[in-house]
Amino acid sequence: MELSVIVPLYNEQDCVKPLYEAIVQAVDPLQIDYEILFVDDGSVDNTVPEAAKLAHTDKRLRVVKFCRNYGQTPAMAAGIDNARGKILVTMDGDLQNDPDDIPRLLQKLEEGYDIVVGWRHKRQDKLISRKIPSVIANWLIGKITGVPIKDNGCSLKAYKADVIKNIPLYSEMHRFIPAMTSIAGTRIAEIKVKHHARQFGESKYGLSRIYKVLVDLLTIKTLLSFFSKPLVIFAIGSGIFYIIGFIILIAGLLPLSSAPSLVLISVSLLYTALATMLLLWGVLGELVFRTGDLKLEHFAHIKSSILSS
Amino acid sequence: MEKKIAKQPTLSVIVPITERYDSVKELFYEYKTGIEATGLSYEIIYVLDGDHAAVLEDLTQLQDSEKLTIITLARQFGEATALNAAFSTAVGSLLLTLPAYWQIQASEIPALVTALKECDMALARRWPRNDSAINRLQTRAFNFILRSFSSLKIHDAGCSARAFKRAVIEEVQLYGDLHRFFPIIAHRQGFKVIEIDIAQSSKEAFRRFYSPGQYVRRLLDMLTIFFLVKFTKKPLRFFGLVGSGLTGLGLAATLYLIIERLFFDVALADRPALVLSSLLIVLGIQVIAIGLIGEIIIFTHARDLKEYRIDRIIN
Repeated sequence: MELSVIVPLYNEQDCVKPLYEAIVQAVDPLQIDYEILFVDDGSVDNTVPEAAKLAHTDKRLRVVKFCRNYGQTPAMAAGIDNARGKILVTMDGDLQNDPDDIPRLLQKLEEGYDIVVGWRHKRQDKLISRKIPSVIANWLIGKITGVPIKDNGCSLKAYKADVIKNIPLYSEMHRFIPAMTSIAGTRIAEIKVKHHARQFGESKYGLSRIYKVLVDLLTIKTLLSFFSKPLVIFAIGSGIFYIIGFIILIAGLLPLSSAPSLVLISVSLLYTALATMLLLWGVLGELVFRTGDLKLEHFAHIKSSILSS
Repeated sequence: MEKKIAKQPTLSVIVPITERYDSVKELFYEYKTGIEATGLSYEIIYVLDGDHAAVLEDLTQLQDSEKLTIITLARQFGEATALNAAFSTAVGSLLLTLPAYWQIQASEIPALVTALKECDMALARRWPRNDSAINRLQTRAFNFILRSFSSLKIHDAGCSARAFKRAVIEEVQLYGDLHRFFPIIAHRQGFKVIEIDIAQSSKEAFRRFYSPGQYVRRLLDMLTIFFLVKFTKKPLRFFGLVGSGLTGLGLAATLYLIIERLFFDVALADRPALVLSSLLIVLGIQVIAIGLIGEIIIFTHARDLKEYRIDRIIN
């Protein structure tokens, strides 16, 4: 099978049919062997019956139904795990992405890229709560991970199956898939895609994600640095605090005329202790990382299998 | 050990006997009537957690006329271990745990078991309640706290009458005192858990107080389950919150002291407040570092953590 289109759905009863029709209409002209995977993330409305109805008439449509609601990343992960195509396309289930863009994504993949991500350059969302945080978040993610993608939050992406199936997806990691795969040296392209305003239902996200994104970013940065330069992130922190500690120590001892300042010396000791602890945490992290089952070689393997396929 | 019957029972009923139990024989017959009303083939397993000579004697007497399995643990291991021991003996595809004391009306057992047709685990909620006011208050407070951090809305976690499918025990690990939170853990693993109203036993009405140690233990259990539910997959979300809070507080205090030194000429070098503010920063950064280590641990095991359960796949 050539292509799997993966769509997580959560309470999207009105979108199911139009979405299915739009995908079929977009992909049929390509004349390839494909499947559509609807992953139902524990909807409480008529999403599943609607999808099942369609699935009975079209064998290319598969519906994966979750026991309950787990969130977007697990839904994506389930779709990816169950997909049979060589190329996987993921997209949102709320009709904001346009399946018409799928052929263009595929075309870009054929040019030799491993991942093609969509960029909603004319985004139809609220400015304050959605667009501005998103611009800042994408800039930060680009700066910190070193993968400058303008729109990490866009679900419309195409992957070679080898790349994505080996990336651990948990919690809310879907935002960082391009960054994760960059360890393997994947070639990533970004193309402009259409974006429509919501027709049905309510948007399911809000501002509360900012803290989560920031924390995840710190995690990703640490993990990525462990892959390439182990310990470095802890060592930098440690170095900074050694220097701070040393400066304060000097300041405490400096007025040679009077007695040394007890307070400054204690503070200096505190920071030096912290620096030492950080270094030890780094060593511990390194130990955990090396004994874990995810290694750089694993990602190198992904890369080589992409090259050979 | 008694001889295995030719046909394996469908329903395994487990009664763990720990610190608290009521008249064993009376309860057994009451339960038996209830279980037989389900119309399923069944086995009854009693697990004795530690030395309960009186109960053992009663049960042995029962064994003369009735069919039941008795498991005795060599010492007191706790209810979770007792349940695990029973689970490994039980052969039924459906399991039912019942309290060793009056909690539910035994005649309602069939309702609990039939509820399994639509879910993986059915919990009894004693409703309407006829306890003393103090009991009800305790139960309410306990369940309110539980509800605040789990997406599973249960009203009566203290009722240990629960029916569930075998698949649940194959995936859910119980240890320590976590049996109380069995439904929450099962729910988190992706099983469908529902709560159904069951009449409370008319004999359960006395006033209950626990020793202060009991309350502390319950609180600690709740803390454990809180971490388990909320942060096992994203430790930095929690540690980061605590850590950045502490660091922020420390930074603000340090800044205040520095401003005072620079603009108001208050000496810095002999103010112990600086030690405190630095300590806060140091502590905060340590907490964040621990969270990061946690993240690394989770990440390296990410491929073993399956986050979802698929109900079915169409086509």
